Amino acid sequence: MANPPWAEIREKFQAALALSRVELHKNPEKEPYKSKYGARALLEEVKALLGPAPEDEDERSQAEDGLGAGDHTLGLPAEVVEAEGPIAQGAVRLAVIEFHLGVNHIDTEELSAGEEHLVKCLRLLRKYRLSQDCVSLYIQAQNNLGILWSEREEIETAQAYLESSEALYNQYMKEIGSPPLDPTEHFLPEEEKLAEQERSKRFEKVYTHNLYYLAQVYQHMEMFEKAAHYCHSTLKRQLEHNAYHPIEWAINAATLSQFYINKLCFMEARHCLSAANVIFGQTGKISTTEDTTEAEGDVPELYHQRKGEIARCWIKYCLTLLQNAQLSMQDNIGELDLDKQSELRALRKKELDEEERVRKKAVQFGTGELCDAISAVEEKVSYLRPLDFEEARELFLLGQHYVFEAKEFFQIDGYVTDHIEVVQDHSALFKVLAFFETDMERRCKMHKRRIAMLEPLIVDLNPQYYLLVNRQIQFEIAHAYYDMMDLKVAIADKLRDPDSHIVKKINNLNKSALKYYQLFLDSLRDPNKVFPEHIGEDVLRPAMLAKFRVARLYGKIITADPKKELENLATSLEHYKFIVDYCEKHPEAAQEIEVELELSKEMVSLLPTKMERFRTKMALT
Amino acid sequence: MANVRVAVRVRPLSKRETKEGGRIIVEVDGKVAKIRNLKVDNRPDGFGDSREKVVAFGFDYCYWSVNPEDPQYASQDVVFQDLGTEVLSGAAKGYNICLFAYGQTGSGKTYTMLGTPASVGLTPRICEGLFIREKDYAPLPSSCRIKISFLEIYNERVRDLLKQSDQKKSYTLRVREHPEMGPYVQGLSQHVVTNYKQVIQLLEEGIANRITAATHVHEASSRSHAIFTIYYTQAILENNLPSEIASKINLVDLAGSERADPSYCKDRITEGANINKSLVTLGIVISTLAQNSQAFSSCQSLNSAASDGGDSGIPSSLSGTSSGVGSSRRQSYIPYRDSVLTWLLKDSLGGNSKTIMVA
Repeated sequence: MANPPWAEIREKFQAALALSRVELHKNPEKEPYKSKYGARALLEEVKALLGPAPEDEDERSQAEDGLGAGDHTLGLPAEVVEAEGPIAQGAVRLAVIEFHLGVNHIDTEELSAGEEHLVKCLRLLRKYRLSQDCVSLYIQAQNNLGILWSEREEIETAQAYLESSEALYNQYMKEIGSPPLDPTEHFLPEEEKLAEQERSKRFEKVYTHNLYYLAQVYQHMEMFEKAAHYCHSTLKRQLEHNAYHPIEWAINAATLSQFYINKLCFMEARHCLSAANVIFGQTGKISTTEDTTEAEGDVPELYHQRKGEIARCWIKYCLTLLQNAQLSMQDNIGELDLDKQSELRALRKKELDEEERVRKKAVQFGTGELCDAISAVEEKVSYLRPLDFEEARELFLLGQHYVFEAKEFFQIDGYVTDHIEVVQDHSALFKVLAFFETDMERRCKMHKRRIAMLEPLIVDLNPQYYLLVNRQIQFEIAHAYYDMMDLKVAIADKLRDPDSHIVKKINNLNKSALKYYQLFLDSLRDPNKVFPEHIGEDVLRPAMLAKFRVARLYGKIITADPKKELENLATSLEHYKFIVDYCEKHPEAAQEIEVELELSKEMVSLLPTKMERFRTKMALT
Repeated sequence: MANVRVAVRVRPLSKRETKEGGRIIVEVDGKVAKIRNLKVDNRPDGFGDSREKVVAFGFDYCYWSVNPEDPQYASQDVVFQDLGTEVLSGAAKGYNICLFAYGQTGSGKTYTMLGTPASVGLTPRICEGLFIREKDYAPLPSSCRIKISFLEIYNERVRDLLKQSDQKKSYTLRVREHPEMGPYVQGLSQHVVTNYKQVIQLLEEGIANRITAATHVHEASSRSHAIFTIYYTQAILENNLPSEIASKINLVDLAGSERADPSYCKDRITEGANINKSLVTLGIVISTLAQNSQAFSSCQSLNSAASDGGDSGIPSSLSGTSSGVGSSRRQSYIPYRDSVLTWLLKDSLGGNSKTIMVA
C-alpha cells in the first residue's frame, strides 16, 4: 500500500475544518447543512487515506465501550502511556478524524452516528488518554458525548462523561502538568505547531467549558448549590485566563449574587457584587461619533443599562440583608425584641471568628491586584446582619446610593415598570430602617418619605396598562398611612394631654389610609363598577386584608360626636361582616386570612353589644 | 382577568407531501385534535412501549381545513366567525387583544392571517369588521378612530414596515415604556385609515417591505416576526361626559421556526435538558439559577408594626401568585434578558387583555 503524501492528507483535513466552521445560516435555505456535508465528505476521504485502525490486543479484549462497562471505562488510568511509535501515532490521527466526524454528525442532528464516531475515538485513545498528545482530545470527545446524551435527556449519562473529563484533567495537571497538544496539531506541519502558551490557553479553555457543562447538568438535576459553585468557578476562570468581556462578565457576576442572596449567603453575594463593580469599571469609556454604526451605537446604551442593573442587584443585597435581620429580631407584633437582639449579638462574635474559615472555603475571584481591588470594595460593606440602628443605617445609605444610580438609567419615561420597582425598593428600605429606629416621631417621618415617593407615581399611570403595579402602590401607600396612624396614636398615648392637633393628625392619616384602601378595592370592580361576587385567587388575600383594615380604621376614627361614632362603628361592623360572610361562602378564602378571620368573627360578636351600649348611653344623655 | 384561547388549524397536504405519499395522521373531533403515531405497532410484545397509538390534545377551537369538499371543512369565514368576531367584540369593550399565528414555515400561517385575494384571511376581515361596525353602530360619523402600524422584529431589532427609510441601512426603533401609553415603539409610524381599501394597501406595502429586506439577508421574511397593530379608539358618552374607549389589536405572525432565526446557532439555544455549548449562554444559565432560587427562598413576608388593640402578627406583605397585588416582593432582581417580542406584547399577555393563539 503506497503511502499517500502527508501534505495531501493535511490539506484535506484543513479544508474539512474550514467547512465545519462555516456558519449554518450562510448555507442556502433549502440546504442548511450543505457545508457540514461537504466537511464530512472530506473527513471520510482523509479517513480512507489514513488506512485502517491499528489492531491492538488490549482493545479486542475490552467488552462494551461507552458506558456499558461501568466504572472501568470512565475510571482514571493507572499510568501514563505515551503515544509513541507509528501504531500509536496512527491511532491518534484516526481518533482526531473520528472526533471531527462525531461532532459533524451531531451538528447535523444525527446523534446515533455521532455517538458511534465519538465512542470509536475514545476507544482508539483509551490507552494513551493521560498522555500529553491525547488528553485534550480525549476530554473533548467525552465532553461532546456528555452534550449528546443531554440531548437524549439522559442526564446522568451526560454527568458521568463530564465528571470523568473533570477527573482526568485534574489527574493530568497533578501528575504531568505540561501544556498538552491541541488536537488540531496532529495535522499540522512541524513548523506550524503551537507554542506552549497557546497550548495551555486552549487546554484551559476546554476545561472551563467542561466546568460550564457540569454547571448546566447540575442545574437540570436540581443540585442548585453545586450548579452555582460551578458557574462561580467558570466565571473565576474567565478572569484568570483573560477570556471575558467586562460588561458581560460583570452582569453575570451580579446575577449570580442574586442566587446567593436568595440563599441568604451574603458573604458570597457581596464578593460577586464587589467583583462586578471592579470588572465593570474596566470598561473603557465609549463615546458615539457620527460615523458610529448602528451596532456600535448600542454599546453606550448597553453600558448604562448594565450599570443600572448592577445597581439594582446591590439594592436587593442591602434590602434583603436588612429584612433578614428584621425577621430574626422581631417579636410577634413586628417590633424589635430586645432579647432576640442580645442573642444575635452574642452570636455575632462567633460569626466573626468563623469568618476566615468560611472565606477560605468560598470561591474567590482573582489574584493579586484584582483581589485587592475587590477586597477594597468589600471592606466598605457589611455582610453580617445589622443588629442596631447604626449598622442598619449604613446598609440603608448604601442601598439608597444605588437607588439613585439605578434611577439614572431607569427613568419613568421609557422604563416605567423598572422605575417603579426601584422606587418600591427605596420605600422598602425606609420601611425596614424604621424597624430599627427607636424614636417614634422619626419613624413617622420615614413613612412620610415613603408616601411622598410613591404617591406621585400613580398620578400619571395609565391603569389599563399598569394594573398590577397600580394596585401594589395603592396598597403600599394605604399601609404606610395605616402605620403612621398607629404610630401617632402610640405617641398620643404617651402624652399626658393629647391635644386637638394630634387628634386631627390621626384622623387625617386615617382618612388617607381609607382613601387608598378604597381605591384599591374599587380597582377590583368590573367595567360596570360592580364588586365581584367571586374574588379572583390572585387578589383574594390583599382584598380581604384591605377590607379588614378598612373595618379597623373605621373603628379608630376619633370623634366627639356620638352619632358619628355610632355610624363609624356600624360601617366597621359592616366590613367585618363582609369578611365573615365571604369566608363562609368561599372556604378557600378562610385559609388565606386565618388570623384576620378570627379577629373579624370576634368583632362581629362584640361590636353590636358595644353599639347597643352606646345607643343606650346616648338616649340617657 | 387574562384570557387565553388556543386554536389549531389543519391544512391540506402540500403537493410535495402528496407526491411523497404522505398520510394525514391528524383527526379533529369537536374540540380535540388527535394524532396517530404510525410508528407504534400493534405487536403483542409492545406492551413495554409507553407510547400511545393515538394521542389527543384539547383546544378551545379545532379547525379542519384539509378538504373543501368535506362537510367539516373550516373555511376562512368559519375561522373568522369564531376568532375574528371574538377579537372585534373584545376590542369594542376596550380590551387589548393579541392574536398569534404560530407554526413552522409552510404550515399555513400566512394563509390564515392574510389569506389570498380570493380567500382573505383574518387580518383583512377583522379590519373590515371594524369599519362595518362603525357604519352600523356609530350615531355620528367618525366617532371612532382607527390607526394602523406594522412592524417587523428581525434579529432582535425592530423595523417599521410602513416607513420608507432613505438611508441605505435599515434603522432600528427603540422599544420603551410610557406611563400613559404603556409599552410602545418609539418612532413607529401610525397611519389613520378610514376605509377598508386603505388598510389593504398598507398591509401590502408592509409585506412588500419584508420581502425586500429578504434580498439583503437571504429570505428574512420567513425568519422574522411581524406585528400588525390596529389602534381602535371609540368616542363614547359616559355619564353625559365625552370619553374614550381605547383598545389595541395585535396580530402577530411569528417567525417560521427558531432554527430559521439568523441569530439561531445551535450553540446558543437552550431547551429542556440540552447543554449549551457556548459560553455565550453563561448569563442565561446563571439567570435561570437565580430565578429558580427565588421559589425556594424561605424568607417569608414581614409582619407589620401593629399597635395595641390586640392585632397580632398581621403580615403586611402579601402572599399569592405573581399576578396578585403585593406577592411577597421578589427577594432579588434578575437583569433583563427577555426578547423584544415578549416585552412589546407584555401588556397583551395579562391583566386586561385577551389572547388567542392559532397554531
